[in-house]
Parts: sequence; structure tokens; C-alpha cells
Amino acid sequence: MTQLNPSKDHPAHEIPSDFDVIIVGGGISGSWMADELTRAGRRCLLLEAGKHYPDDAYPHEEIDANSELYWSGGIEFNSTADIGMLRPKVVGGGSIVNQALVDRFDDIAFESWRNRSGISFLSVPEMSHWYDQAESQMSIQKIPAHVRNGNAKIFEEGFRKNGYQCAPLRRAQKDCRYEEGNDCIECLAGCRLQSKQSTPWTTLKRAFETGLLTLLPEFEVQKISESSQEVRVSGKSVSGMKREFKSRKVVLASGAIGNSKLLLSSGYNSQIPFLGHGFYTHPQYMNLAEYSFEVNAHKSAFQAFKSDDSGFRSAGFKLENVFAPPVGIAMLLPGVGRSHMESMRKITRYACIEVAVRDTNPGRIRIKGDRVVVEKSLNAEDIKRKNAGLEAVRKIFNSTGAKTIIPGNVGIGLHLMGGCAIGNDPKNSVVNPNFKIHGTKNIFAADSSIFPDAPGINPSLTIMALTLRAAQEILSS
Amino acid sequence: MTMNYSKHLGRQSLRGLSKAGDILIPGDDTLPAFSRTPYLTEIDRIADWMTPQDREGFKFLTGLFSVLPSPVVRGLIKLADRAESLPEWIAPPFRMINVGVKGVVYSLYYTDLTASHTVRRELRWSTRCGPLAPPPESEESARIEEAFRNARSASRVLRKIPLAERLRFLEPLQEVIQKNQNRILDAIQRETGKSRSDAYMSEIFGVLDHLAFLQKKAGKILGDRTAPSGLALLGKKSQVWFEPLGTVLCISPWNYPFYQAIVPMTSALVCGNAVVYKPSELTPLKGLVEDLLREANIPEDWVQIVYGDGRTGSKLIDQKPEKIFFIGSSRTGQKILEQASKYLIPVELELGGKDPAIVFDDANLDRAAAGVLWGAVTNTGQSCTSVERVYVQEGAFEAFKKCIIHQALRIVQKVDDDGSSDIGIMTSDAQVKIIAEHLDDALKKGARLLTGENWDRQSRVIPPLVLENVTHSMKIMKEETFGPVLPLMVFKTENEVIELANDSDYGLSASVWSQDLARAERIARGIVTGNVSINNVMLTEGNHALPFGGAKKSGFGRYKGEFGFYAFSNIKSVIIDANSKKIEANWYPYTAAKYRLFDQMTRGLFTRGIKGLLLFIFNGLSLESLSQKKRGEP
Repeated sequence: MTQLNPSKDHPAHEIPSDFDVIIVGGGISGSWMADELTRAGRRCLLLEAGKHYPDDAYPHEEIDANSELYWSGGIEFNSTADIGMLRPKVVGGGSIVNQALVDRFDDIAFESWRNRSGISFLSVPEMSHWYDQAESQMSIQKIPAHVRNGNAKIFEEGFRKNGYQCAPLRRAQKDCRYEEGNDCIECLAGCRLQSKQSTPWTTLKRAFETGLLTLLPEFEVQKISESSQEVRVSGKSVSGMKREFKSRKVVLASGAIGNSKLLLSSGYNSQIPFLGHGFYTHPQYMNLAEYSFEVNAHKSAFQAFKSDDSGFRSAGFKLENVFAPPVGIAMLLPGVGRSHMESMRKITRYACIEVAVRDTNPGRIRIKGDRVVVEKSLNAEDIKRKNAGLEAVRKIFNSTGAKTIIPGNVGIGLHLMGGCAIGNDPKNSVVNPNFKIHGTKNIFAADSSIFPDAPGINPSLTIMALTLRAAQEILSS
Repeated sequence: MTMNYSKHLGRQSLRGLSKAGDILIPGDDTLPAFSRTPYLTEIDRIADWMTPQDREGFKFLTGLFSVLPSPVVRGLIKLADRAESLPEWIAPPFRMINVGVKGVVYSLYYTDLTASHTVRRELRWSTRCGPLAPPPESEESARIEEAFRNARSASRVLRKIPLAERLRFLEPLQEVIQKNQNRILDAIQRETGKSRSDAYMSEIFGVLDHLAFLQKKAGKILGDRTAPSGLALLGKKSQVWFEPLGTVLCISPWNYPFYQAIVPMTSALVCGNAVVYKPSELTPLKGLVEDLLREANIPEDWVQIVYGDGRTGSKLIDQKPEKIFFIGSSRTGQKILEQASKYLIPVELELGGKDPAIVFDDANLDRAAAGVLWGAVTNTGQSCTSVERVYVQEGAFEAFKKCIIHQALRIVQKVDDDGSSDIGIMTSDAQVKIIAEHLDDALKKGARLLTGENWDRQSRVIPPLVLENVTHSMKIMKEETFGPVLPLMVFKTENEVIELANDSDYGLSASVWSQDLARAERIARGIVTGNVSINNVMLTEGNHALPFGGAKKSGFGRYKGEFGFYAFSNIKSVIIDANSKKIEANWYPYTAAKYRLFDQMTRGLFTRGIKGLLLFIFNGLSLESLSQKKRGEP
């Protein structure tokens, strides 16, 4: 199934070994970085472990999307197996598999970051320039009222009845063509309509148009090393071919786990003791409720609201108006055999609200041989936050006539953050305020791995904003 | 052939997974149990992407499931389902089992990979990528596209199912047909107007006989075969593999609506193809075959039935099946061939006939007359292999004529329900018209009608029509009549009757009646036709080990019997050589020295006797050792 896009991708052996900048990881940060750097005339090599799909060929069957678009064939666990992490592995990364929620961080998030990092530009006013820049480069829409489905209506009604605040969702999308009867729910596996602003048809496309970007998909970077002149990056293609590339500068953009793993296996832990520390996931719990009427949570706009409640914010959680396709729902429903099948038959009568916890207990990423071990657990405060969220969900469901509530047990880690925290002090951070790895000359990072802690807000837009700022630093250094 | 669904999981693991699958999804009134779906065959869509460690763990776990008693596996799975209530020190492995096993089983089952989406439909779950969905079309076009979508996805599954397992559907189907015999016969009679006995013999007995043949022989015939590699390819293994073609479109006529449904579709299925079947619009037997297949637990997508007339057939061809199998008239066959040629789709055509019966002086006339009469009027003459021309040697003509008339007048004709009627009525008014036209044309040109004078040219109740004084200038001796007609014509010599028999556009079958078997065989060899019965009639079809098909405008290709499997298979030739260091003699570099040795070796190979063999061996060995050297190497 190896599909190279001949106009864009190159087989490993054909690629020259020398570049201005090598970008490791083709997700949101890597794609935006490639766009910025090629626009400024830099010859870039983008290395990505996942595949590069033609625009219309993303695997849209649930079984294939889960297997093909994530590391380890779908799910990875923390060491106690109570958080299942979904880590994208595809050109476009999170922008292929996310729901494209784009929200700016508030001062609550930035204040905490400033406290941890000692970096003053991590503030609403200073970041607003980068947010503006990011938002100007893609299409963002509020989900209109007329496409709200049963799930959204329950969400809104429950919020209203309980005095909670919610707001229409802001998404990076262009034209979901609802009026044509579209209810594909394929956002989580690429977007055949190219409505979602995934990077392959936004920033990456622009980068290719400069003629300065070389993309090598299905190539996993395994080691990085630096001399005074250059940085060397080596790894292996899916076919087993080993290659080494070198460049003046390298940008690490393979996420919290990817960046931490690469630096750890390249021996940087001896000079950067904090490497791999401070890992957060916004553990999410999907709670279902059965109604006596057809909710049809999968129809029309898949997700239309977000919680916008200061009480929730200070209690450390947010609620999301979500649902999942049948395999996902089957995984959420407890029971074995007939009872489970009975539950599945009610799939169109379920509403779903997800609690996303702003987790406070830092986890740690280690390597054991060539495997990554993620130590991450919820402390008493996190559990309190989760329970507070669940309590709000119960109130919402109960006030809207739910027959039964099925609370979610398995934590889902979709926002993988930290491990390479940004900060002034090399003792408790990994990346300096110029987005350079402490102690290195030319290795940078600006993706979610540099988050000092869990912001409690969806990270995509901030990853873009930080990447734009980092690109400026890299170009001027 | 021992094929496995999975590159990664062995049979034992698959069994264990299937067991766990049935514990998680035991099925209910309308949702199938996990093991009743073909989804396990798609396991590699997950297993391909697992990490090696996860895969090993999963293999171990499912292997364990396969040997543990079901209640223990159920206990483990239930414990895993409640991992949250377990003490924390033991919970993690159970959490992983829970997500691992459920993840695989639910992904396979609830993704619901068959294009008909049985499970998702039952759950009332449907989504569409609106703007990319096809524009609204007629219900029929939608059904046609759906049928091909379903069939294509089924054919992907079928391709992976080992032959032995594929054949397992035959026995339940046979049982279901026997169980539903009366329902089938009622439906056939309702739509065709056949007699009960006609329907029983050809459509029930014939179908069961065919299924028995498949059960007995298909496994052997379709298995991998070894072919000789010959001296020049010594040491290499040559094999022939029978593989599916993909999706086969079967279009059948109205004369044997059940037989012509089951026989082509099961023949295509045992070869591993998915089938799209279009019955005649005159005798669709709507819903019957679907019900039987369902009752026999044959996966829904394996056979898609689309109802409609010729226009529907043409739209089906536009979907570009990998093969078209058509039984019907020569005129329609020609249209199909024309359309298929546009897409280069291979076609088998079983078309019409104008089959001669040749009766010699020395034949047992009572038997010959009984046989010829049956051959002409069985199924009220609506068979492609019906006797439609009778040539009787002059010495026996009068006696034979008397016999035929005598017996024809005693034919019992009605649509009965107890098997007591010989023939039924005609199925279609269109055919009645053709018969009237052929009859009147013959009478106008001087033929004499010996029986059936009272037929009003309109009624579907057409009695046997025996004629004499016929010639080859009459339609009734040249065109397919497809009714209970027996035009009798005198001949004198062997050569003359061969000429007469071959003076036809058709060549489907023939019968020769004579005491002198050597003569009968000469005639049989002299007629250009697909099938001949000697001292019998229409009997080659009765042996399912014999191929069936025609010559000339009766079509081409063969079905049934061993050769019939070839029609539905991609016959793949394979050579397996060792992954050795050896460089073959026919590879580069070509040198003058090698050329000389090659020439000598070839002389040896094609020279008889020990001298040739020695020449071959000596030069072959020299050539082989020389071939290991690079150009310029001493």
C-alpha cells in the first residue's frame, strides 16, 4: 500500500543528503514550519514516519483509519494501561485525525506557563500577534445553528437548564457542505471533502509550491547528533533502507513522545535532566446517555458546541459535544455478549458528552531498549477534576431526560503534550526561549512537546502560533 | 490448497479469536454471530499495523483462547470487561486484554466491511459523504451499483477463503433445496406453466445432481497441480493454480429458471468468484433464491440478484464484471458479446440450437420414437437442446412416423400438481407467436401437419406438432422454434444425413439412433456440434461430469464438468526456482562460446537415443558452468 505521490514525495535513495533545514515530523508544527521556512527560501527536508496519502485516499473505514493513521496500529497505553493514547502517524499528523477545534489559550493557561517557564512572551497580548498570523492562514468557521444535531441540542439544553455556559464551536474548516446532506464523520480520518484545514492541502501544499520542500514519508528518524558545523539525522525507511541526512539546522516536530524518544535515544538525557519529564495528556472520558428518542448523534454536524464556563475552567475540566462511529461506541459500552449487543442496538439513541481533564500530575516519558514507556497517572486533584466533570455531565443528562448514563472508564489521551518543556532554567526545561534545545546550537522544537503543562484548552492553534514564532527565531538566528 | 486468512496469525490463533468473537458477539435474532460473518478474513487490516510486541502478545492470547474451554475464555473476557473493579496491581494486563480483544473483534464486526452493511443497517447507522455520494439516480441504477459494490467486496473476501472452506456451502444448500422442494416447484410452475414432472426432473433432480458433483469433484479439480518441468528446466517446480476471476455476471433464460440460476452461480462460487445474477424478467422467481441462500447461511454478498430485462442486463455489463456467463438466445448473445468487446470482458455464451435427431433403419423404432418425442416436447419444447429436426432413414420412415403419431397423441398436457402430466403449457406469448409463424410458413411451403391440427395459433397450450414433407427452405427446419414441434424428413445415406444435419447455423447437440454403433459414431464425429447422444437424447446434460456448450451460432465456451471450472477460473502458471547463487544459462552475458555450447546442447536435446542425451548433458553442464562467469572472466 505504499503510495508515493510522485510530484511531491521522493524515494529515500534519491534524496540528496544535504539541506538547509531538516524537519523531523510532518504534523501540524512540521508542516507549518516547512511553509514558513521554504517561503523564506530555505531548502527543507521533511521526514515523516507515517504515510503520505493522496488527498482522496485516506482510509475512511473505521477499521483502517484506526490501524493505519496511528502509531502501534491504533492505540498506545501508559504503563498502567488506564490511559489509551492516540498518536497520529501520517503526513499531516494531528490535523488529519483531529476535530480541528481552534481556540486561543486564555490567561489562566499562559499564567501557569509563565510561572513554570519564566518566559514572559507566553501571554495573551504577546501571543496574539502569532495567533492572528495563524488564523489568517486558514479558513475558520463557527458551526451554524441550523446544522446542530440531537446530540448538540441535548448539550445546549442541559447547559441552559443547569446554568452552564456553552458556545458554538470554532473549527478550522472551509466547506462541510451540510446542505448537501453530508454527515460523513470522516474528520477523524482525513477529510475527503478537503474542508477540514489539514496541512496537506493548506500549509504543506504551499510549501511544495515553492519547489524547496522535499518530503520523505514512511521514514522514521532514530538518531540525531550535532557537530559545530552541522546536524546529522539518521533513520530507517519502512522498507528497511537506512539513510543519514545533514543540515545546518534541525527542527524537531514529532510531538511529545516522538521528540522525547528521539532525544533520549540520542543520549541527550545526560545533558538535559528534565528531558521526558512533564508529560500531559488532557485525559478524556466519553460518557454516554440513553434517551427514549432517536438522538442520531452521528447526523449532520458531528460536533457543534464547546463548554465556555468559567466554573468548569476553574474546576479544571471542559466538556465536549462529541460522538464516535460504531467501533468507537462499541469500545465505550460495557458488557459482554448479548447485553453488549442490546446496548449497541441503541446506538442512535445515545448522546455523548466528553470530560477533558486539565491534568496536573506530570507524567514521564522513558525509553526501554527501543520502546517508549509512558508513566502517567492521575493524582487526587486530577481525579477530583474528572469527577467534577462527570458530575456536571450527569446533571446535563438528567435534566434532559436521559434514561441511563454510562460513564466512560477508559481515559483517552488525544492531546499529547510536554516532555521537552520550554523554559529559561535548563534544570527544569528542555527548550530555551529561542525554541532551541538547551545546550545545542542548531536543534529546535516548537510543537506540543514544549508545553510546560496542560493548558486545558485544545492545543492545535497554539502549536501553530508557537511554530510561527519559532520559525521567525530560526530564520533570524 | 492450504491458504490462511492471515500473514500473521496461525489457524489456532484465528480459532481462538473466533471463539472470543462469539463470546463478545454471540448474535441474536437479526444480527449474526461474529463467526457467522466473513470478517475474520480481514484480520490483517489490523494485524499488519500492530507492533511486533503487540502482535506476539495477541498471538499468544488468542492461541490460549483456542485451547481453553469456552467458559474459561468467557470468564477471562468478562473479568477484563470489569478491569476497573479489580485491584490495581492486577488490573493493567486485564485492561490491555479488554481493549486488545474487543478492539479487534469490534473493529472487524462493527466496521461492517461488506458493502451491504448488514450490521450497520440493522443498527440504523448510516452516514454519507454527501457531496461525494453519487447523484440521485433511478432505483434500478442504484441497485446495480450496489450489487457490484457488494459483489466486489465479497470477491475480496472469497479470494482469501480456502477452497475446502468455500465448498462447505454446498451441502447446506443441497439440504435447503431438498427441504424447500415443494415451494420451489410451486414457484417454477407458477411462472413457467411446466408440468410438475418436467419441473422436478430438470430443476430439482438436475440441481441436486450438479451440487453432488461439485461436492465430490470441485476440491480435486481446483486444487493446485504440478506440471512436468522437462529436462531443460530440471530442478524447477512447475505448477498450475486455479484462482478466482473476481465478479462473474450470470444472465439466465426463462426456460429453466431455477436450474439456470443455481448451476451457473454455484459453479462460479466454487471457483471463488462473487456472482451477480440476473434472471429472465419472465421468470424471476423473485425472492426465492435469496431465501434459499440465506437459509443455507451463504454470506449475503456472495450472490447479488438483480431483476430486470435486457436493458438491466446491459447496465450490468457496464459495471465491467470480470466475466459474463450468458445462457439464452443467439440474438441476445450477439448483443452481449458486442457490448463486452468494448470492455474486453471474456464471455461464455450458451445459445440456441436446432438439434437434429437421426434415426436409422436398424434402430429400435419404439425406443427411438419414444426418445425423439421426449427430446422434442420435454419442457414443452422449450430447451436449447430440444430435438427440432428429425431425419429418418427411408426404410423406417413410415413405421417411425406411425410410432411418433401414436405416442404424441397420448401425451397428457396440463399444469398438474401430482406429477401425472407429461408436458405443461408454453411460458411466453412471444414464443407462441414464433411457433405459429414457423408452423404456418412450413404449411404454406407444402408441409403436412400430422398432429395438433386443432391448435388455434394463440393458445399457450400447444400440443405436440408432428409434421412431414418438410424441407430446409422452411423456417421450421432452419430457425430455432422453441416449441413442441417434430418435423420429420426422409434421408437415404449417411453422407446425406451428415450434410443435412450440418446444414444449420447452429450446433448445440444431436442424437443418433442405430443398432450399428460404428456407424452411429461416424455420424457423431461428422456433425459439427457440441454434444451428441447415441441411442439416447439430451443426455450429455444429464452427466454433470461432461462439459456442456455449443459450436457455430450455438455459442462457445464450456460449462459443467471439469472443463466448466476453467470458465470461472484464472488458471495461473507458476514456476518456483531455488533462491540459489546460480546464474541461468539464458541470462547475460551472451558470448560466442556460450552460443556454441547452447547450440550443441539443443542438438543433444532434440536428438533421439543415448547419444543425444550425452550430448545434452555434457554441453548442458559446460554451459552451466560457463554461465557462472562474468564477461571477460577466464
